[in-house]
Amino acid sequence: MRLKTLSLAIMVAAGLASTTPVFADAHSSTKVTDKPLELSIHFHTKKYVYDDDWLVEKEAAKRTGVSLKNIASMATTNSQEAFNLLIASGDLPDIVGGASMKENVNQYGPEGAFAPLNDLIEKHAPNMKEYFDANPAIKAAISAADGQMYYIPYLPDGKYGRAYFIRTDWLKKLKLEVPNNIDELYEVLVAFRDLDPNGNGKKDEIPYFNRNWEEMLRLVVFWDGRTSGSDTRHDFHVHEGEVRHGYVGEGYKNGIRHIAKWYKEKLIDPEIFTRGSRSREYLLSEDLGGVTHDWFASTTGYNVSMAKKVPGFELKAFAPPESISGKRIEEHRRTPVKPEGWAITAANKNPIETIKYFDFYFSEEGRRLANFGIEGTHYDMVDGNPIFKPEVLTSDKPINAQMWSVGAQVPRGFRQDYAYEKQWSNKFALEGIALYDQGDYLIPQFLGVAFNAEEKKVFDKYWATAQNYMLEKQQAWILGSSDVDKDWDAYIAQLDRMGYPKVIEVMQSAHDRQYGKK
Amino acid sequence: MNVIQSKIGWFIRHVRREWQLYLMLAPTVIWFILFLYKPMYGLQIAFKDYSIFRGIEGSSWVGFEHFYTLFGNDQFIRAIWNTLIISSLSLLFGFPIPILLALMFNEILNQTFKRTAQTIVYLPHFISTVIIAGIVITAFSPSSGIVNQFLVWLGMEPIYFLTKPEWFRPIFIGSGIWQEAGFGSIVFLAAMAGVNPSLYESAVVDGASRWQMMWKITIPCILPTILIMLIIRIGNLLEVGFELIILLYQPATYSTADVISTFIYRQGLIGAQYDLAAAAGLFNAVVAFILVMTANTISKHYSRTSLW
Repeated sequence: MRLKTLSLAIMVAAGLASTTPVFADAHSSTKVTDKPLELSIHFHTKKYVYDDDWLVEKEAAKRTGVSLKNIASMATTNSQEAFNLLIASGDLPDIVGGASMKENVNQYGPEGAFAPLNDLIEKHAPNMKEYFDANPAIKAAISAADGQMYYIPYLPDGKYGRAYFIRTDWLKKLKLEVPNNIDELYEVLVAFRDLDPNGNGKKDEIPYFNRNWEEMLRLVVFWDGRTSGSDTRHDFHVHEGEVRHGYVGEGYKNGIRHIAKWYKEKLIDPEIFTRGSRSREYLLSEDLGGVTHDWFASTTGYNVSMAKKVPGFELKAFAPPESISGKRIEEHRRTPVKPEGWAITAANKNPIETIKYFDFYFSEEGRRLANFGIEGTHYDMVDGNPIFKPEVLTSDKPINAQMWSVGAQVPRGFRQDYAYEKQWSNKFALEGIALYDQGDYLIPQFLGVAFNAEEKKVFDKYWATAQNYMLEKQQAWILGSSDVDKDWDAYIAQLDRMGYPKVIEVMQSAHDRQYGKK
Repeated sequence: MNVIQSKIGWFIRHVRREWQLYLMLAPTVIWFILFLYKPMYGLQIAFKDYSIFRGIEGSSWVGFEHFYTLFGNDQFIRAIWNTLIISSLSLLFGFPIPILLALMFNEILNQTFKRTAQTIVYLPHFISTVIIAGIVITAFSPSSGIVNQFLVWLGMEPIYFLTKPEWFRPIFIGSGIWQEAGFGSIVFLAAMAGVNPSLYESAVVDGASRWQMMWKITIPCILPTILIMLIIRIGNLLEVGFELIILLYQPATYSTADVISTFIYRQGLIGAQYDLAAAAGLFNAVVAFILVMTANTISKHYSRTSLW
């Protein structure tokens, strides 16, 4: 009861404050409230829940006057499940955060479980307002069908995700050049297969491999096809304002025909469908794999870890080879906005304080705290930039894990700073990123749509089945159990029967509402 | 009035006298009420447009819409067929094997050998499904798997088994038998231990061979157990262990591998359609109920052994 009257008092006070013209002192002080305010939070990710003892949380509490008390438990590692249990219980905390927020808040927000944020940001969160005004596409991407934002997202920095990698020491050994176009890539793969670059006398090289077979599909890009427009597999993409799916395009058909040929010729890992996530580790450490498409940071790391085991090992990023029409495209990039973040529930009695608290992490000071941890403990300011301390950089524990353990770099609503990662990236990764930066190979991402109830019904009814069918045919074609050219017309006709055009229609209407018609 | 009073009085005296028995019964009854009867209330979401936030009461009725959606979907129909085929085949091949195993164990005289052999066949039961899937994937790998190395040794081409629809069922059913047959034999061994030894003693006196004793004594005596187990198995016919399928299947093998539960799992993942999943689950339960009733009636008619 006392807490309630206290918070009521604060609300009234804050309400009064908000009526005075703008905040004269908004930037000079990070205090949200003079009287300490404790808010409850359900913050769940696969690996950890919010911890009241995190140094970052304590620091933020000191600076804002708002402290968060976690109620999420590690009873499940599945964040969606944790979220469902929370919603079904009907007993909502002040803040919900962590993984799998976007779809959930955009469904349950309009139903009344979460507070709409547009107005709150407009009036009380100058830093966030500045950010969203400057990035309308991000704002559009996270808004629900009613045009309201219901969560503050985690905004990753750094554009590059995956890149093409090749064993440059093998190339040198076979006196070959880095492949520049798709025909040259084909020749290099054939050479890797036939000319025994690992020198063990056996024809055991796997010219092209991936950790997941879905990643291998990206080869269709070389025949001007598309696989996915986003971080999610088999996702839609937008072409000149038109929502499309890669798996019905001519380029895709052409690409699949060639992938099937490569697969048959054993240029692609014959076991790519079952080898699973350990394949990169296995194929590189056994000196078998030649070319792959994978994440910058972890893949370049093998140059260090394999140096002793495989003398001369060199796995370098190379520019995406030219497609048949002469385009160089890297289809994958890091998403600029994650479905992770945090949201204010309808049960929250202090929405204004909460949004101000959220806004703290969008201030320069708060952003640094969320990215680098505590000044003096984890980093020092050098020439106005936060630089990690040597003991942090040389610790056995990876820097991201060190940051998580104090509550930095956790998926609260904040803007990541690429400078954090750059300081501990190995030189091979930085070199590769510079190469990709120079060539500017990235293409715009599809950031998803928010359906209204009618659209969602149509999408749910047809899409899962249609996508299922696409994948079944796709694997059958690649494995050679049927022929893409013979099947194609029947395939398109079957997708029409399965309601694919209706799916595209609702995707388009949701897209137009959200991002505006082109 | 008097009759009712005396009945209540009798019931109270009865419970007082036998309270230990009721106490032992209580955990099971509570378990049934909490985990089987109470959730039945939630089954109504199969006929509703369900939202977890609005709750069961707050969601609106949609009648049979979810059932129309399901049965209008070719992939669901295919999943029903696959479920029936996979279950029937595993019943056909998987059911007799534990009985055979039990009979064989029963005939072993050397106790050390018997115990060792039993432990070895029980062991796979205790391995987690993820590990089983890993073992299967490795064993059937085209380059390093033991099965394909054997084929190559025979001079045949290696086969990429796990991408071939025609191989999925044999592999799935076979690994299921390998994992569960040993453990399944325990109940039959227990039944055999309950056979009256005097039957065997008099058979020996009459000069019966071991073979004759097995056919004339052991099998008839454990027949009720076999029939009860069979009825239970039939009741679970639609419940295929979907974890192993999810770990082993590929889009390429959906045509033979996709069962009702995996279909629901994929549908549920996209858009969290609990109402649709509940509708499919309800359909599953109704079919299972009909199957178990039928099996029970047939068994009762022909052998006088039944669940109830």
